[in-house]
Amino acid sequence: MTSFLETAWGRAMWNARDHLLDGLTITLQVTALGFIGAVLIGLALCLITMYIKPLYWPARFLVNFFRATPIICQLMWVNYVWPPLFGWPTSLFQAGCVALALQSAGYLAETFRAGIEGINRGHIEAGRSLGMPAHLVMRRIILPQAFHMMAPAIMNQFMVVIRSSTLVSIIGVADLMHWGHHLSAEWFEPIGIMSTIAVFYIVVIGTLSSLFKWYSERLRNRYV
Amino acid sequence: MVTSTNTSDRNVVVKVVDLHKTFGTLEVLRGISLDVHEGDVLTLLGASGSGKTTLLRCINHLEQPTSGETFIDGRPLGFQIHASGRRTNASQTSINALRMEIGMVFQQFNLWPHMTAFENIIEAPLRVKKLPRSEVESFATELLKRVELLDKKDEYPARLSGGQQQRVAIARALAMQPRVMLFDEPTSSLDPELIGEVLGVMRSLAKEGTTMIVVTHEIGFAREVSDRVVLLHNGMIEEDGPPEEVIDNPKSSRSKQFFSSILH
Amino acid sequence: MIEQLASIVSGFSLFWEYKAVMLPGLWYNFLVFFLVVVFGVILGLIFSTIRLNTNIAIRAIAAFYIGLFRNAPEYITLVWFLYVPALVLSKLLESNVTFEPLVVAVMALSLSAGAFYAEIFRAGILSVPKGQIEAARATGMSRTLTLRRIILPQAMRQMLPEFFNECVSVFKGTTLVSLVMVPDLVYGVNLVSSYTGQALPLYTGIALIYFFIVFTMTSIAEKLSNPWRDKTR
Repeated sequence: MTSFLETAWGRAMWNARDHLLDGLTITLQVTALGFIGAVLIGLALCLITMYIKPLYWPARFLVNFFRATPIICQLMWVNYVWPPLFGWPTSLFQAGCVALALQSAGYLAETFRAGIEGINRGHIEAGRSLGMPAHLVMRRIILPQAFHMMAPAIMNQFMVVIRSSTLVSIIGVADLMHWGHHLSAEWFEPIGIMSTIAVFYIVVIGTLSSLFKWYSERLRNRYV
Repeated sequence: MVTSTNTSDRNVVVKVVDLHKTFGTLEVLRGISLDVHEGDVLTLLGASGSGKTTLLRCINHLEQPTSGETFIDGRPLGFQIHASGRRTNASQTSINALRMEIGMVFQQFNLWPHMTAFENIIEAPLRVKKLPRSEVESFATELLKRVELLDKKDEYPARLSGGQQQRVAIARALAMQPRVMLFDEPTSSLDPELIGEVLGVMRSLAKEGTTMIVVTHEIGFAREVSDRVVLLHNGMIEEDGPPEEVIDNPKSSRSKQFFSSILH
Repeated sequence: MIEQLASIVSGFSLFWEYKAVMLPGLWYNFLVFFLVVVFGVILGLIFSTIRLNTNIAIRAIAAFYIGLFRNAPEYITLVWFLYVPALVLSKLLESNVTFEPLVVAVMALSLSAGAFYAEIFRAGILSVPKGQIEAARATGMSRTLTLRRIILPQAMRQMLPEFFNECVSVFKGTTLVSLVMVPDLVYGVNLVSSYTGQALPLYTGIALIYFFIVFTMTSIAEKLSNPWRDKTR
């Protein structure tokens, strides 16, 4: 620890530790909210395209639009265009979460659809033959299986959300990346500070992705 | 229609009247009428494409018949007749309510792979019939004992052999305490050495007086267990009677041909 | 809201009005895309080969590279490359070294993309069952012949959809270069927006422009990879 504090960048980071921790909290919040939003919006879009005929094309357009627009454009679009147009989101933080959610919602909608379509028709018939109403078949038979089968793709999308979360700093959300950038410029010590921030992200994301891989393999083992 | 004399005083559990089913231009069922009495074990035989599986799926309303009527315990399945005599399609809720009375066992077992054997069995009684958990669990345990799989209670289907999966599937259907059990070629996708254990369970069900409709290719089982054998040909009933009549002394030349092709 | 929508649509003319900024901007996106795909594929080929080497130490080098750049957020990679290499070189050479933003951007994005390409290539090659390779070797086919005639045709089919997906991601990622001062379309729109104050039509328009380009690319990619996919089954 002493050698870390002897360096200029180490001292700079230590002195700004409260900011860095705040930034980390914001990063975690943006990631979590963005991902939860993505799952909910993605599921809704997927169910709409599959089961509500008249809304097929509008939903399909949204899925493609979310998927095909770069995250930067979405961030700016939600941040600059939505508030005057819809009166919402009212804060940079909300705008960041919404943009992250939309981006991944498009991908997750496609993932869920593949998962649902991949389910053996027989499993659905077995449920119906026992008198299960459609919503119960969906909730108890189709969705859990789709989630298990698609676990690797869903978790991969979570990694995408964490990595993209660094971009909320460009619309002024004070996340970890923002503070890293800020401190580097303030103390003119990017070598130490940016490298530390980079290593931190790489280690966290790498660890999570190995954990997720292990877990989704375990889930899959039930099926083979 | 030929029926044994002593069945007339027993309840008709499944009544099928002039059932037709077409897929596009293909006419699979061409006017089937059947009465299945309480405690009857009825075997449906026929070459592939004769409509046996479709008939079974219509009785459960997994396929909607093109025309004709099905009654379970006298209650119309899939349609309702109003006081004015007008006939309309029934609500999904009323179809589901009747399906609880019909257990179905599939060729491909169709156990839900994300649930253990035990969870597969308790799912429908718990969430469809909404029975208390303790009651459901003790009945499920009893059923697993009956199909001799209590030790596999917490296994996921992928870890079970085909025969074991099918026995769990039978237990799952029985857990709803249905009025009639439908078996759709329950042994056709099993390895030969696993067929016996499934037929064993079905045999004991038959002995206990369960009402059963079985689509199968196991002629020996049909002869031994069933009270009545119905032979379908091209979507129509070709023969209908006790097994010794239909299997051993078929009337029409078509039936003779069918049995000789199966038995030899 | 109708009025606002109308003003957004009429504001799309700003793109034409400022085409002197916008068109070169878009050209930068395509230039970066092209360079990153070329360098990324080269890096991917090199590191997927290294990753499949029999020597564990050599394999570890590739694993390290792939792990590093697959997990690092691209924005952080970009910013790191923007500041660090130039500073380190300046200190070492005791002179003022600077890199062109475009060079930095292409370097960072290529290293990122290379890691993803490497994994795609590796998965493709590993998807060919070992028995087939043994069968080819048993008939006396040489290593290169086996690679060319047996492994690659099948691996191609397996990895083509993933490969195109990654190319589309690369294109979307080219918009990040605006953050390190490369004057791409996003950069141009930011500029025009602060100059004219017309954020609504500009940011809506640019989203639609990228949507149109990326959607077209995705459709072409699907068309190109479908015939390959069909042959496998």
